[in-house]
Amino acid sequence: MDFSEAAERISRKFSQKGTEVDPKKIEGKLRRLVNEFGVQPSEAERSVNNELAKEFNLPAMGTGGGGKNGGAAELKKIADVAPGEWVTIEGKIVSTSTPASPAIAQSGIIADESGAIRFVAWAKSNAPAMQEGLWYKIESAVIDEFKGIASLKIHSGTTVRESIVDGPLIPGTVPVVNLHTGVGSVRAKVIQDWDASHERMLQSGLLGDETGTVKFVIWKEAGKEKLTVGSVYNIFYALVDEFNGRLSLNLNTATIMLDDGDILVSGGEVNVRGAVVHIAPGSGIIKRCPVEGCNRALSRQNYCPVHEIQPKFHYDLRIKGWLDDGIKTHNILLQREVVESLTGITLEAAQEIAENNPLGMDEVFLRMRDAVLGRYITCHGREIDNRLLVNACEKLTFDSGAHAALLNRSGSAS
Amino acid sequence: MSINPRDVGRREGVFEREPARRIFAAELRECRYQFKEGDDEKSPTFVLLPTGERCNRLFIVGTLTEKQRQGDQNIFYRGRVVDPTGTFFIMAGSYQPEAMQQLAKVDTPAFVAVIGKPNLYQTPDGAFLVSVRVESITVVDKETRDLWVLDTAARTLDRIEVMATGQSVDCVKAKEQYPAIDTAVFRKMAYDALAQIKI
Repeated sequence: MDFSEAAERISRKFSQKGTEVDPKKIEGKLRRLVNEFGVQPSEAERSVNNELAKEFNLPAMGTGGGGKNGGAAELKKIADVAPGEWVTIEGKIVSTSTPASPAIAQSGIIADESGAIRFVAWAKSNAPAMQEGLWYKIESAVIDEFKGIASLKIHSGTTVRESIVDGPLIPGTVPVVNLHTGVGSVRAKVIQDWDASHERMLQSGLLGDETGTVKFVIWKEAGKEKLTVGSVYNIFYALVDEFNGRLSLNLNTATIMLDDGDILVSGGEVNVRGAVVHIAPGSGIIKRCPVEGCNRALSRQNYCPVHEIQPKFHYDLRIKGWLDDGIKTHNILLQREVVESLTGITLEAAQEIAENNPLGMDEVFLRMRDAVLGRYITCHGREIDNRLLVNACEKLTFDSGAHAALLNRSGSAS
Repeated sequence: MSINPRDVGRREGVFEREPARRIFAAELRECRYQFKEGDDEKSPTFVLLPTGERCNRLFIVGTLTEKQRQGDQNIFYRGRVVDPTGTFFIMAGSYQPEAMQQLAKVDTPAFVAVIGKPNLYQTPDGAFLVSVRVESITVVDKETRDLWVLDTAARTLDRIEVMATGQSVDCVKAKEQYPAIDTAVFRKMAYDALAQIKI
């Protein structure tokens, strides 16, 4: 079991309810239950959930349904349901998908004007098959949760009836940064098309809007078409999943409409100011593989992991390290131009040192380390997979205005 | 089958390096409580700051005023790094060969930036001592030192403010462990440190 991921999931759920719980503490609890007491991981997650919910006096968040959930007969808005509840909702089936298991009769997405949720109808429930585009009232279903994603379970005690409320349902889209696991609708532009990493995959890539970017995937299925890079789409009811802490949109369930407009996509640009607290090995001057499209860093013996010995390498500069603002440490990667401007050592000068100094490439590393380590800098760049790819950076200079402000701040209340 | 959370983190790409805290010498000197998160051998050790934050790593900029080589078999270096509020005791041994060589090269006095890990010791006569095991040390200029004083003053004031209303585990623990300390002294300390920078 991946404890830290499960712990993160639980902690996030509580922080959505306004309670901060240290994921490390949660992880400890999970670990203890699983390793010491041999509890099943899913059961451990549920019991930690409930224990914390009790501790903070929140209504039960895990599955299982407490005694307080007597309001099952009351009609709820989809946006208001919470895991563990027995609910009655009324909504429109906006998507159905092929069930993953014979135990499931039907699965898909049901939506009302407040939001949307995934649903699963168990084969044993004997519920009538619901039709895409029609409205249904679903009484006494259970909101369950799997990997932090809520879904509506239709079981044998659930009543499903077609509703007369037929009307247009206009879903609202949310900014990409506000997406969360479950079901989401966005208006976004396709900014990257990646090579399919799986034979069942039709397309994967990156979608973005003014607020940020998110990965998307479309699996091969009859009637599915690829999206065009550079086009803007309205995407309604995509499944939002999470892998390794990053969200991903599964568009197979979604209704996709081409939009005429354009969006200025934010590249997720960030500015980080801090002190350089570590320069990692592999920084300084490096040799790169000359094979077209490879460009991998070579070992000291000019060995490329793919193309073997490459004596006709070319040189490059880079700095890998950690930038620390005292609260969080950011993994940074500086490209050649940035390294040159920050250290004052050009590629030519570095090459000269590497070829003529007895320490060779190490000498470049040492000089760059001594020039950069422990210095305050501001980095601008894009954060991808927890690493900040730096486009530009500059050294911080002493700001007497900030000094005066701090004097006031520390002197005022004493 | 225990899983080291660090390994998991690395594989999953969510490994978080412990941030380097900014602390004046006068505050670090008051630390009396050290704890370990988790019972794994490699679990990080934290020193609890009187201003209610855990600290596993430090970033210090100050003046290296003294250094000394010690030991015969196991050579190690000790040094004193002075900031506007007091003195940090740093050390680098043969387990940190790179740090030791860096420290060996520096001529005193010099402005240095030190990244290191705090360790709390109790001497036989009962006194507490926090020493910083150096991860790296480089010579820097005065401007970097001044920037550090601003940075550290700001972070210290942030911590004091959070502590005033703070319900976090660390704030509560700090109030428990340091009942006699009034955080107002650290506000004064920050002011005095800032006032020493000439405009």
